[in-house]
Amino acid sequence: MRRDLKEVIFFSACIITTVTAISLLFIILSAILVRGLPAINLEFLTTESKEFGQNGGILYQTMGTFILIGMAGILAFPIALGSAVYQTEYLSLSLRGTADLLVYALNAVPTIIFGLFGYMFFGVFLKLGVSWLTGSFILAIMVLPTVLVSIKEAIESIPFKYLEAGLALGLTQERLVRAVIIPQSIHGMVTGLLLGLARAAGETAAIMFTATTFSGVLLPASFREPVTSLQTHILILAQEAINPRALTNAWGAALVLVALIMLMSLGSMLIRATITHEAER
Amino acid sequence: MKPLFTLKDVSLYYGESQVLKNISLTIDKGKVTSIIGPSGAGKSTILRTLNRMNDRIPGFQLSGEVFFDDENLYNNGTKVHLLRQNVGMVFQKPCIFPKSIYDNVLFGVRHLYSRRKHEFSQIVEETLKAVSLWDEVKDKLNQSALELSQGQQQRLSIARALAVEPRVLLMDEPTSSLDPTSTCAIEELVGRLSGNLTIVIVTHKLDQAKKIADDVVFICEGKLIEHGRSENIFSNPSQQQTKDYLKWHLCKC
Ligand SMILES: Nc1ncnc2c1ncn2[C@@H]1O[C@H](COP(=O)(O)OP(=O)(O)OP(=O)(O)O)[C@@H](O)[C@H]1O
Ligand SMILES: [Mg+2]
Repeated sequence: MRRDLKEVIFFSACIITTVTAISLLFIILSAILVRGLPAINLEFLTTESKEFGQNGGILYQTMGTFILIGMAGILAFPIALGSAVYQTEYLSLSLRGTADLLVYALNAVPTIIFGLFGYMFFGVFLKLGVSWLTGSFILAIMVLPTVLVSIKEAIESIPFKYLEAGLALGLTQERLVRAVIIPQSIHGMVTGLLLGLARAAGETAAIMFTATTFSGVLLPASFREPVTSLQTHILILAQEAINPRALTNAWGAALVLVALIMLMSLGSMLIRATITHEAER
Repeated sequence: MKPLFTLKDVSLYYGESQVLKNISLTIDKGKVTSIIGPSGAGKSTILRTLNRMNDRIPGFQLSGEVFFDDENLYNNGTKVHLLRQNVGMVFQKPCIFPKSIYDNVLFGVRHLYSRRKHEFSQIVEETLKAVSLWDEVKDKLNQSALELSQGQQQRLSIARALAVEPRVLLMDEPTSSLDPTSTCAIEELVGRLSGNLTIVIVTHKLDQAKKIADDVVFICEGKLIEHGRSENIFSNPSQQQTKDYLKWHLCKC
Protein backbone atom coordinates (compact mmCIF):
# COMPACT_ATOMS: atom_id res chain seq x y z
CA MET A 1 0.00 0.00 0.00
CA ARG A 2 2.65 2.52 1.03
CA ARG A 3 4.76 1.30 -1.79
CA ASP A 4 1.98 1.99 -4.25
CA LEU A 5 1.59 5.47 -2.86
CA LYS A 6 5.29 6.17 -3.21
CA GLU A 7 5.19 5.04 -6.76
CA VAL A 8 2.21 7.23 -7.58
CA ILE A 9 3.95 10.24 -6.07
CA PHE A 10 7.15 9.52 -7.93
CA PHE A 11 5.30 9.00 -11.17
CA SER A 12 3.32 12.24 -10.82
CA ALA A 13 6.47 14.15 -9.99
CA CYS A 14 8.08 12.88 -13.18
CA ILE A 15 5.06 13.88 -15.23
CA ILE A 16 4.80 17.33 -13.68
CA THR A 17 8.44 18.17 -14.19
CA THR A 18 8.41 16.89 -17.74
CA VAL A 19 5.30 18.85 -18.60
CA THR A 20 6.79 21.98 -17.02
CA ALA A 21 9.98 21.67 -19.02
CA ILE A 22 8.22 21.00 -22.29
CA SER A 23 5.66 23.77 -21.86
CA LEU A 24 8.38 26.29 -20.98
CA LEU A 25 10.18 25.39 -24.16
CA PHE A 26 6.92 25.55 -26.05
CA ILE A 27 6.04 28.99 -24.68
CA ILE A 28 9.44 30.43 -25.52
CA LEU A 29 9.46 28.97 -29.00
CA SER A 30 5.95 30.10 -29.80
CA ALA A 31 6.65 33.59 -28.46
CA ILE A 32 9.65 33.85 -30.77
CA LEU A 33 7.66 32.39 -33.63
CA VAL A 34 4.67 34.70 -33.21
CA ARG A 35 6.76 37.83 -32.89
CA GLY A 36 9.50 36.92 -35.29
CA LEU A 37 7.53 35.50 -38.15
CA PRO A 38 6.12 38.87 -39.35
CA ALA A 39 9.71 40.04 -39.91
CA ILE A 40 10.77 37.06 -41.96
CA ASN A 41 10.79 37.31 -45.71
CA LEU A 42 13.31 36.80 -48.43
CA GLU A 43 14.43 40.40 -48.33
CA PHE A 44 15.02 40.21 -44.56
CA LEU A 45 17.25 37.18 -44.98
CA THR A 46 19.22 38.46 -47.96
CA THR A 47 19.88 42.14 -47.46
CA GLU A 48 22.03 44.14 -45.11
CA SER A 49 20.55 46.03 -42.21
CA LYS A 50 19.83 49.71 -42.58
CA GLU A 51 19.18 52.56 -40.14
CA PHE A 52 20.47 50.64 -37.16
CA GLY A 53 18.31 47.64 -37.75
CA GLN A 54 15.04 49.49 -38.27
CA ASN A 55 15.04 48.57 -41.89
CA GLY A 56 16.71 46.07 -44.15
CA GLY A 57 17.71 42.56 -43.20
CA ILE A 58 20.21 40.47 -41.34
CA LEU A 59 22.37 39.01 -44.10
CA TYR A 60 25.71 40.06 -42.64
CA GLN A 61 24.64 39.25 -39.10
CA THR A 62 23.89 35.70 -40.19
CA MET A 63 27.15 35.47 -42.08
CA GLY A 64 29.03 36.86 -39.09
CA THR A 65 27.60 34.17 -36.85
CA PHE A 66 28.59 31.55 -39.40
CA ILE A 67 32.12 32.96 -39.71
CA LEU A 68 32.58 33.01 -35.94
CA ILE A 69 31.39 29.49 -35.30
CA GLY A 70 32.84 28.07 -38.50
CA MET A 71 36.32 29.23 -37.59
CA ALA A 72 35.78 28.15 -33.98
CA GLY A 73 34.98 24.67 -35.30
CA ILE A 74 38.05 24.62 -37.52
CA LEU A 75 40.23 25.62 -34.56
CA ALA A 76 38.63 23.40 -31.93
CA PHE A 77 38.15 20.17 -33.88
CA PRO A 78 41.79 19.14 -34.46
CA ILE A 79 42.74 19.97 -30.88
CA ALA A 80 39.77 18.05 -29.51
CA LEU A 81 40.48 15.10 -31.79
CA GLY A 82 44.15 14.98 -30.91
CA SER A 83 43.60 15.13 -27.20
CA ALA A 84 40.69 12.66 -27.30
CA VAL A 85 42.90 10.15 -29.12
CA TYR A 86 45.71 10.79 -26.66
CA GLN A 87 43.43 10.35 -23.66
CA THR A 88 41.81 7.16 -24.90
CA GLU A 89 44.75 5.43 -26.56
CA TYR A 90 47.97 6.60 -24.98
CA LEU A 91 47.39 8.11 -21.55
CA SER A 92 48.00 5.65 -18.72
CA LEU A 93 44.83 4.34 -17.09
CA SER A 94 45.67 5.91 -13.75
CA LEU A 95 45.78 9.44 -15.19
CA ARG A 96 42.58 9.25 -17.21
CA GLY A 97 40.36 10.21 -14.26
CA THR A 98 42.41 13.34 -13.69
CA ALA A 99 42.19 14.25 -17.36
CA ASP A 100 38.41 13.85 -17.28
CA LEU A 101 38.23 16.06 -14.23
CA LEU A 102 40.21 18.82 -15.95
CA VAL A 103 37.97 18.68 -18.99
CA TYR A 104 34.84 18.95 -16.86
CA ALA A 105 36.40 21.81 -14.93
CA LEU A 106 37.05 23.61 -18.19
CA ASN A 107 33.45 23.04 -19.17
CA ALA A 108 32.24 24.64 -15.95
CA VAL A 109 34.07 27.95 -16.46
CA PRO A 110 31.55 30.77 -17.04
CA THR A 111 31.74 31.96 -20.62
CA ILE A 112 32.41 35.54 -19.64
CA ILE A 113 35.72 34.37 -18.16
CA PHE A 114 36.66 32.84 -21.49
CA GLY A 115 35.76 36.16 -23.09
CA LEU A 116 37.88 38.10 -20.66
CA PHE A 117 40.86 35.77 -20.84
CA GLY A 118 40.53 35.37 -24.60
CA TYR A 119 40.47 39.07 -25.17
CA MET A 120 43.48 39.64 -22.96
CA PHE A 121 45.47 36.91 -24.63
CA PHE A 122 44.43 37.00 -28.27
CA GLY A 123 43.12 40.56 -28.52
CA VAL A 124 45.69 42.42 -26.44
CA PHE A 125 48.75 40.19 -26.09
CA LEU A 126 48.68 38.79 -29.63
CA LYS A 127 47.36 42.14 -30.87
CA LEU A 128 44.40 40.74 -32.78
CA GLY A 129 42.20 43.43 -31.23
CA VAL A 130 38.43 43.33 -31.38
CA SER A 131 38.18 40.97 -34.31
CA TRP A 132 36.34 37.94 -35.53
CA LEU A 133 39.48 35.86 -35.10
CA THR A 134 39.67 36.77 -31.41
CA GLY A 135 36.02 35.77 -31.14
CA SER A 136 36.61 32.47 -32.91
CA PHE A 137 39.52 31.66 -30.60
CA ILE A 138 37.34 32.38 -27.58
CA LEU A 139 34.48 30.28 -28.91
CA ALA A 140 36.89 27.50 -29.83
CA ILE A 141 38.17 27.28 -26.25
CA MET A 142 34.61 27.43 -25.02
CA VAL A 143 33.35 24.51 -27.10
CA LEU A 144 36.52 22.47 -26.71
CA PRO A 145 35.28 20.45 -23.70
CA THR A 146 31.95 19.63 -25.35
CA VAL A 147 33.59 18.51 -28.58
CA LEU A 148 36.37 16.68 -26.74
CA VAL A 149 33.98 14.71 -24.55
CA SER A 150 31.80 13.77 -27.53
CA ILE A 151 34.79 12.56 -29.54
CA LYS A 152 36.06 10.60 -26.55
CA GLU A 153 32.69 8.93 -26.14
CA ALA A 154 32.62 8.14 -29.84
CA ILE A 155 36.05 6.50 -29.63
CA GLU A 156 35.19 4.59 -26.49
CA SER A 157 32.05 3.20 -28.09
CA ILE A 158 33.93 1.56 -30.96
CA PRO A 159 33.41 -2.18 -30.55
CA PHE A 160 36.57 -3.71 -29.12
CA LYS A 161 36.59 -6.35 -31.86
CA TYR A 162 37.47 -3.71 -34.46
CA LEU A 163 40.50 -2.63 -32.46
CA GLU A 164 41.57 -6.24 -31.98
CA ALA A 165 41.09 -7.03 -35.66
CA GLY A 166 43.29 -4.07 -36.56
CA LEU A 167 45.96 -4.87 -34.01
CA ALA A 168 45.99 -8.55 -35.01
CA LEU A 169 46.90 -7.51 -38.54
CA GLY A 170 50.03 -5.85 -37.21
CA LEU A 171 48.96 -2.23 -37.34
CA THR A 172 50.99 0.11 -35.17
CA GLN A 173 49.13 2.25 -32.68
CA GLU A 174 49.40 5.22 -35.01
CA ARG A 175 48.07 3.20 -37.96
CA LEU A 176 45.29 1.88 -35.77
CA VAL A 177 44.21 5.44 -35.03
CA ARG A 178 44.15 6.32 -38.70
CA ALA A 179 42.68 3.12 -40.08
CA VAL A 180 40.24 2.08 -37.38
CA ILE A 181 39.65 4.59 -34.63
CA ILE A 182 38.98 7.72 -36.68
CA PRO A 183 36.91 6.08 -39.45
CA GLN A 184 34.85 4.06 -36.98
CA SER A 185 33.98 7.06 -34.82
CA ILE A 186 33.63 9.77 -37.43
CA HIS A 187 29.85 10.01 -37.01
CA GLY A 188 30.20 10.58 -33.31
CA MET A 189 32.85 13.17 -33.94
CA VAL A 190 30.67 15.16 -36.31
CA THR A 191 27.80 14.92 -33.85
CA GLY A 192 29.99 16.32 -31.11
CA LEU A 193 31.24 19.11 -33.30
CA LEU A 194 27.71 20.14 -34.28
CA LEU A 195 26.58 20.12 -30.66
CA GLY A 196 29.55 22.25 -29.67
CA LEU A 197 28.94 24.70 -32.47
CA ALA A 198 25.24 24.92 -31.66
CA ARG A 199 26.33 26.01 -28.22
CA ALA A 200 28.77 28.53 -29.65
CA ALA A 201 26.11 29.96 -31.94
CA GLY A 202 24.04 30.92 -28.93
CA GLU A 203 26.91 32.47 -27.03
CA THR A 204 26.72 36.23 -26.66
CA ALA A 205 28.55 37.51 -23.60
CA ALA A 206 32.00 36.30 -24.51
CA ILE A 207 32.05 37.70 -28.03
CA MET A 208 29.91 40.79 -27.62
CA PHE A 209 32.74 43.25 -27.07
CA THR A 210 35.66 41.14 -28.24
CA ALA A 211 34.66 40.16 -31.74
CA THR A 212 31.56 41.96 -32.87
CA THR A 213 30.19 45.42 -33.41
CA PHE A 214 26.63 46.43 -33.89
CA SER A 215 26.71 48.20 -37.19
CA GLY A 216 28.88 49.56 -39.92
CA VAL A 217 30.62 46.34 -40.95
CA LEU A 218 29.90 43.93 -43.75
CA LEU A 219 32.27 41.04 -44.36
CA PRO A 220 35.70 41.24 -42.73
CA ALA A 221 38.54 41.94 -45.13
CA SER A 222 41.26 40.78 -42.73
CA PHE A 223 41.82 38.80 -39.53
CA ARG A 224 41.84 41.97 -37.51
CA GLU A 225 38.34 43.19 -38.27
CA PRO A 226 35.25 42.57 -36.22
CA VAL A 227 32.06 41.15 -37.67
CA THR A 228 28.50 41.70 -36.72
CA SER A 229 26.49 38.75 -35.51
CA LEU A 230 22.91 37.69 -34.89
CA GLN A 231 23.47 37.54 -31.15
CA THR A 232 24.85 41.09 -30.99
CA HIS A 233 22.12 42.35 -33.26
CA ILE A 234 19.36 40.89 -31.12
CA LEU A 235 20.80 42.20 -27.89
CA ILE A 236 21.36 45.74 -29.09
CA LEU A 237 18.05 46.04 -30.86
CA ALA A 238 16.17 44.67 -27.86
CA GLN A 239 17.94 47.05 -25.50
CA GLU A 240 17.77 50.24 -27.45
CA ALA A 241 14.94 50.04 -29.89
CA ILE A 242 11.98 52.30 -29.38
CA ASN A 243 10.83 51.82 -32.90
CA PRO A 244 8.44 48.83 -33.09
CA ARG A 245 9.86 47.81 -36.50
CA ALA A 246 13.30 47.42 -35.01
CA LEU A 247 11.85 45.29 -32.26
CA THR A 248 10.10 43.06 -34.77
CA ASN A 249 13.41 42.72 -36.59
CA ALA A 250 15.06 41.68 -33.34
CA TRP A 251 12.50 38.90 -32.95
CA GLY A 252 13.06 37.95 -36.58
CA ALA A 253 16.78 37.66 -35.97
CA ALA A 254 16.09 35.62 -32.85
CA LEU A 255 13.92 33.26 -34.86
CA VAL A 256 16.66 32.80 -37.42
CA LEU A 257 19.23 32.12 -34.70
CA VAL A 258 17.00 29.61 -32.92
CA ALA A 259 16.25 27.87 -36.21
CA LEU A 260 19.97 27.68 -36.92
CA ILE A 261 20.76 26.15 -33.55
CA MET A 262 17.90 23.71 -33.78
CA LEU A 263 18.98 22.64 -37.22
CA MET A 264 22.47 21.89 -35.92
CA SER A 265 21.12 19.94 -32.96
CA LEU A 266 18.73 18.08 -35.21
CA GLY A 267 21.55 17.28 -37.60
CA SER A 268 23.64 15.88 -34.78
CA MET A 269 20.69 13.81 -33.57
CA LEU A 270 20.11 12.41 -37.04
CA ILE A 271 23.76 11.46 -37.41
CA ARG A 272 23.67 9.84 -33.99
CA ALA A 273 20.59 7.85 -35.00
CA THR A 274 22.39 6.46 -38.04
CA ILE A 275 25.28 5.22 -35.89
CA THR A 276 23.13 3.29 -33.45
CA HIS A 277 21.43 1.82 -36.46
CA GLU A 278 24.75 0.62 -37.83
CA ALA A 279 25.94 -0.74 -34.50
CA GLU A 280 22.84 -2.91 -34.18
CA ARG A 281 23.51 -4.78 -37.38
CA MET B 1 63.53 -29.85 -36.18
CA LYS B 2 63.55 -26.78 -34.03
CA PRO B 3 60.10 -25.78 -32.76
CA LEU B 4 58.59 -22.47 -33.86
CA PHE B 5 57.13 -21.50 -30.51
CA THR B 6 58.56 -22.53 -27.16
CA LEU B 7 56.74 -21.74 -23.93
CA LYS B 8 58.83 -22.18 -20.80
CA ASP B 9 57.01 -22.32 -17.48
CA VAL B 10 54.46 -19.71 -18.48
CA SER B 11 52.04 -18.43 -15.86
CA LEU B 12 49.54 -15.74 -16.66
CA TYR B 13 47.46 -13.60 -14.34
CA TYR B 14 44.60 -11.18 -14.84
CA GLY B 15 44.84 -9.20 -11.63
CA GLU B 16 44.54 -11.68 -8.77
CA SER B 17 43.29 -14.65 -10.77
CA GLN B 18 45.77 -17.04 -12.32
CA VAL B 19 44.61 -18.15 -15.74
CA LEU B 20 47.61 -20.15 -16.98
CA LYS B 21 49.63 -22.32 -14.61
CA ASN B 22 53.25 -23.19 -15.37
CA ILE B 23 52.75 -24.15 -18.97
CA SER B 24 55.69 -25.54 -20.92
CA LEU B 25 54.98 -26.36 -24.52
CA THR B 26 56.50 -26.40 -28.01
CA ILE B 27 54.69 -25.83 -31.27
CA ASP B 28 56.16 -27.20 -34.47
CA LYS B 29 56.69 -25.38 -37.73
CA GLY B 30 54.34 -26.16 -40.62
CA LYS B 31 52.00 -28.26 -38.52
CA VAL B 32 48.42 -27.85 -37.43
CA THR B 33 48.28 -27.75 -33.65
CA SER B 34 44.90 -27.91 -32.03
CA ILE B 35 44.24 -26.66 -28.51
CA ILE B 36 41.32 -28.42 -26.85
CA GLY B 37 39.80 -28.23 -23.41
CA PRO B 38 36.63 -27.27 -21.58
CA SER B 39 35.19 -23.78 -21.53
CA GLY B 40 37.22 -21.38 -19.41
CA ALA B 41 40.29 -23.63 -19.47
CA GLY B 42 42.46 -20.89 -20.92
CA LYS B 43 42.58 -21.99 -24.57
CA SER B 44 42.05 -18.51 -25.98
CA THR B 45 44.46 -17.11 -23.44
CA ILE B 46 47.28 -19.43 -24.52
CA LEU B 47 46.61 -18.65 -28.15
CA ARG B 48 46.69 -14.94 -27.50
CA THR B 49 50.00 -15.09 -25.65
CA LEU B 50 51.54 -16.13 -28.97
CA ASN B 51 50.83 -12.76 -30.60
CA ARG B 52 50.64 -10.73 -27.41
CA MET B 53 46.97 -9.92 -27.76
CA ASN B 54 46.50 -10.17 -24.01
CA ASP B 55 48.68 -7.16 -23.35
CA ARG B 56 45.81 -4.68 -23.31
CA ILE B 57 43.69 -6.57 -20.79
CA PRO B 58 43.70 -4.77 -17.43
CA GLY B 59 45.76 -6.53 -14.77
CA PHE B 60 47.63 -8.67 -17.30
CA GLN B 61 50.86 -10.16 -15.97
CA LEU B 62 53.01 -12.96 -17.35
CA SER B 63 55.91 -14.89 -15.92
CA GLY B 64 58.06 -17.43 -17.72
CA GLU B 65 59.27 -17.15 -21.29
CA VAL B 66 57.69 -17.37 -24.71
CA PHE B 67 60.01 -17.80 -27.68
CA PHE B 68 59.11 -17.31 -31.33
CA ASP B 69 62.10 -18.79 -33.14
CA ASP B 70 64.84 -17.31 -31.00
CA GLU B 71 63.03 -14.15 -30.04
CA ASN B 72 61.84 -13.80 -26.48
CA LEU B 73 58.40 -12.27 -27.09
CA TYR B 74 57.93 -10.71 -23.69
CA ASN B 75 61.24 -8.90 -23.72
CA ASN B 76 61.02 -5.15 -23.71
CA GLY B 77 62.64 -4.90 -27.12
CA THR B 78 59.97 -6.87 -29.00
CA LYS B 79 58.18 -4.90 -31.69
CA VAL B 80 54.66 -6.12 -31.13
CA HIS B 81 53.28 -4.94 -34.47
CA LEU B 82 56.04 -6.78 -36.35
CA LEU B 83 55.29 -9.90 -34.33
CA ARG B 84 51.64 -9.67 -35.28
CA GLN B 85 52.49 -9.28 -38.96
CA ASN B 86 54.22 -12.65 -38.68
CA VAL B 87 51.61 -14.21 -36.44
CA GLY B 88 48.16 -13.53 -37.85
CA MET B 89 44.92 -14.17 -36.03
CA VAL B 90 41.34 -15.10 -36.85
CA PHE B 91 38.65 -14.65 -34.21
CA GLN B 92 35.61 -16.61 -33.22
CA LYS B 93 33.17 -14.16 -34.75
CA PRO B 94 34.18 -12.78 -38.13
CA CYS B 95 35.09 -9.12 -37.68
CA ILE B 96 34.41 -7.34 -40.92
CA PHE B 97 34.91 -3.63 -41.43
CA PRO B 98 32.03 -1.68 -42.96
CA LYS B 99 33.86 -1.44 -46.27
CA SER B 100 33.92 -3.25 -49.59
CA ILE B 101 35.11 -6.84 -49.93
CA TYR B 102 38.17 -5.58 -51.78
CA ASP B 103 39.08 -3.10 -49.05
CA ASN B 104 38.56 -5.67 -46.34
CA VAL B 105 41.07 -8.05 -47.89
CA LEU B 106 43.56 -5.23 -48.17
CA PHE B 107 42.90 -3.80 -44.74
CA GLY B 108 46.21 -4.85 -43.24
CA VAL B 109 48.24 -4.84 -46.45
CA ARG B 110 47.31 -1.31 -47.30
CA HIS B 111 48.84 0.01 -44.13
CA LEU B 112 51.84 -2.26 -44.10
CA TYR B 113 52.95 -2.29 -47.71
CA SER B 114 51.47 0.88 -49.12
CA ARG B 115 54.25 1.06 -51.68
CA ARG B 116 53.13 -2.14 -53.38
CA LYS B 117 49.94 -0.60 -54.74
CA HIS B 118 50.29 -2.18 -58.16
CA GLU B 119 50.14 -5.63 -56.59
CA PHE B 120 46.93 -4.99 -54.68
CA SER B 121 44.43 -6.51 -57.10
CA GLN B 122 46.67 -9.56 -57.49
CA ILE B 123 46.89 -9.97 -53.71
CA VAL B 124 43.11 -9.79 -53.45
CA GLU B 125 42.65 -12.43 -56.12
CA GLU B 126 45.26 -14.80 -54.71
CA THR B 127 44.12 -14.65 -51.11
CA LEU B 128 40.43 -14.94 -52.01
CA LYS B 129 41.29 -17.98 -54.10
CA ALA B 130 43.26 -19.43 -51.21
CA VAL B 131 40.16 -19.29 -49.02
CA SER B 132 37.88 -20.53 -51.86
CA LEU B 133 35.91 -17.32 -51.88
CA TRP B 134 37.01 -15.96 -55.24
CA ASP B 135 34.34 -17.58 -57.38
CA GLU B 136 31.59 -16.44 -55.05
CA VAL B 137 32.63 -12.79 -54.85
CA LYS B 138 34.71 -11.97 -57.91
CA ASP B 139 31.86 -10.03 -59.52
CA LYS B 140 31.05 -7.96 -56.48
CA LEU B 141 34.40 -7.02 -55.00
CA ASN B 142 33.29 -3.43 -54.56
CA GLN B 143 30.13 -4.25 -52.69
CA SER B 144 29.94 -4.00 -48.93
CA ALA B 145 31.40 -7.03 -47.19
CA LEU B 146 28.65 -6.80 -44.56
CA GLU B 147 26.27 -8.35 -47.08
CA LEU B 148 28.19 -11.63 -47.11
CA SER B 149 27.02 -14.62 -45.09
CA GLN B 150 28.73 -15.44 -41.78
CA GLY B 151 30.69 -18.26 -43.38
CA GLN B 152 31.82 -16.04 -46.23
CA GLN B 153 32.73 -13.31 -43.77
CA GLN B 154 34.86 -15.72 -41.79
CA ARG B 155 36.69 -16.84 -44.92
CA LEU B 156 37.13 -13.17 -45.78
CA SER B 157 38.72 -12.59 -42.35
CA ILE B 158 41.11 -15.43 -43.09
CA ALA B 159 41.92 -13.93 -46.49
CA ARG B 160 42.59 -10.59 -44.80
CA ALA B 161 44.97 -12.25 -42.35
CA LEU B 162 46.71 -14.22 -45.14
CA ALA B 163 47.17 -11.12 -47.27
CA VAL B 164 49.72 -9.84 -44.77
CA GLU B 165 51.72 -13.01 -45.46
CA PRO B 166 52.11 -14.27 -41.90
CA ARG B 167 54.20 -17.31 -41.01
CA VAL B 168 51.69 -18.42 -38.41
CA LEU B 169 47.92 -18.28 -38.31
CA LEU B 170 46.19 -18.41 -34.94
CA MET B 171 42.52 -19.36 -35.08
CA ASP B 172 40.23 -19.09 -32.07
CA GLU B 173 37.20 -21.36 -32.59
CA PRO B 174 36.87 -20.07 -36.14
CA THR B 175 33.89 -22.27 -36.99
CA SER B 176 31.86 -22.10 -33.81
CA SER B 177 29.41 -19.56 -35.21
CA LEU B 178 29.16 -21.14 -38.66
CA ASP B 179 26.89 -23.59 -40.47
CA PRO B 180 28.20 -27.09 -41.33
CA THR B 181 29.02 -26.27 -44.96
CA SER B 182 31.13 -23.24 -44.07
CA THR B 183 32.71 -25.25 -41.27
CA CYS B 184 33.80 -27.93 -43.74
CA ALA B 185 35.12 -25.28 -46.12
CA ILE B 186 37.29 -23.85 -43.36
CA GLU B 187 38.49 -27.26 -42.15
CA GLU B 188 39.50 -28.12 -45.69
CA LEU B 189 41.20 -24.76 -45.96
CA VAL B 190 43.25 -25.38 -42.83
CA GLY B 191 44.51 -28.66 -44.26
CA ARG B 192 45.48 -26.99 -47.50
CA LEU B 193 47.27 -24.04 -45.91
CA SER B 194 49.36 -26.01 -43.43
CA GLY B 195 52.85 -26.87 -44.50
CA ASN B 196 53.83 -23.40 -45.64
CA LEU B 197 51.94 -21.95 -42.76
CA THR B 198 51.98 -23.00 -39.13
CA ILE B 199 48.45 -23.12 -37.77
CA VAL B 200 47.34 -23.12 -34.15
CA ILE B 201 43.63 -23.61 -33.80
CA VAL B 202 41.48 -23.56 -30.68
CA THR B 203 38.41 -25.73 -30.90
CA HIS B 204 35.96 -27.32 -28.55
CA LYS B 205 34.81 -29.77 -31.22
CA LEU B 206 36.82 -32.94 -30.76
CA ASP B 207 35.90 -34.36 -34.17
CA GLN B 208 37.25 -31.21 -35.73
CA ALA B 209 40.55 -31.55 -33.89
CA LYS B 210 40.71 -35.20 -34.91
CA LYS B 211 40.09 -34.30 -38.53
CA ILE B 212 42.56 -31.47 -39.00
CA ALA B 213 45.21 -31.51 -36.29
CA ASP B 214 48.70 -32.99 -36.45
CA ASP B 215 49.32 -32.22 -32.79
CA VAL B 216 46.87 -31.78 -29.97
CA VAL B 217 47.28 -29.81 -26.76
CA PHE B 218 44.81 -30.56 -24.00
CA ILE B 219 44.48 -28.00 -21.26
CA CYS B 220 42.19 -27.79 -18.29
CA GLU B 221 41.86 -25.07 -15.66
CA GLY B 222 44.96 -23.35 -16.91
CA LYS B 223 47.12 -26.46 -16.70
CA LEU B 224 48.59 -28.39 -19.58
CA ILE B 225 47.42 -31.98 -19.15
CA GLU B 226 48.68 -33.64 -22.28
CA HIS B 227 50.39 -32.74 -25.54
CA GLY B 228 51.20 -35.07 -28.40
CA ARG B 229 50.49 -36.42 -31.84
CA SER B 230 46.81 -36.27 -32.67
CA GLU B 231 46.48 -40.00 -33.36
CA ASN B 232 48.12 -40.88 -30.05
CA ILE B 233 45.99 -38.54 -28.01
CA PHE B 234 42.74 -39.67 -29.55
CA SER B 235 43.46 -43.39 -29.63
CA ASN B 236 45.63 -43.84 -26.62
CA PRO B 237 45.80 -40.92 -24.21
CA SER B 238 48.27 -41.31 -21.38
CA GLN B 239 46.47 -39.22 -18.76
CA GLN B 240 43.29 -40.23 -17.01
CA GLN B 241 41.91 -36.67 -17.28
CA THR B 242 42.34 -36.75 -21.05
CA LYS B 243 40.51 -40.06 -21.23
CA ASP B 244 37.64 -38.62 -19.19
CA TYR B 245 37.47 -35.51 -21.30
CA LEU B 246 37.45 -37.42 -24.58
CA LYS B 247 34.73 -39.69 -23.30
CA TRP B 248 32.52 -37.42 -21.23
CA HIS B 249 33.52 -33.95 -22.43
CA LEU B 250 34.10 -33.10 -18.78
CA CYS B 251 37.18 -33.06 -16.67
CA LYS B 252 38.14 -32.89 -13.03
CA CYS B 253 41.52 -31.28 -12.81
N1 LIG C 1 39.58 -10.07 -20.16
C1 LIG C 1 39.61 -10.90 -19.10
N2 LIG C 1 39.70 -10.42 -17.86
C2 LIG C 1 39.69 -11.24 -16.79
N3 LIG C 1 39.63 -12.57 -16.88
C3 LIG C 1 39.56 -13.11 -18.09
C4 LIG C 1 39.54 -12.31 -19.28
N4 LIG C 1 39.46 -13.13 -20.35
C5 LIG C 1 39.42 -14.37 -19.84
N5 LIG C 1 39.48 -14.37 -18.50
C6 LIG C 1 39.46 -15.55 -17.63
O1 LIG C 1 40.50 -16.42 -18.02
C7 LIG C 1 40.06 -17.75 -17.98
C8 LIG C 1 40.36 -18.43 -19.31
O2 LIG C 1 39.65 -17.79 -20.32
P1 LIG C 1 39.79 -18.20 -21.85
O3 LIG C 1 38.99 -17.23 -22.62
O4 LIG C 1 41.21 -18.35 -22.19
O5 LIG C 1 39.07 -19.63 -21.84
P2 LIG C 1 38.74 -20.56 -23.07
O6 LIG C 1 39.38 -21.85 -22.79
O7 LIG C 1 39.09 -19.89 -24.34
O8 LIG C 1 37.18 -20.72 -22.91
P3 LIG C 1 36.04 -20.78 -24.06
O9 LIG C 1 36.02 -22.17 -24.58
O10 LIG C 1 34.79 -20.46 -23.30
O11 LIG C 1 36.39 -19.77 -25.09
C9 LIG C 1 38.59 -17.73 -17.64
O12 LIG C 1 38.44 -18.12 -16.32
C10 LIG C 1 38.17 -16.32 -17.83
O13 LIG C 1 37.23 -15.98 -16.85
MG1 LIG D 1 37.95 -19.05 -25.94
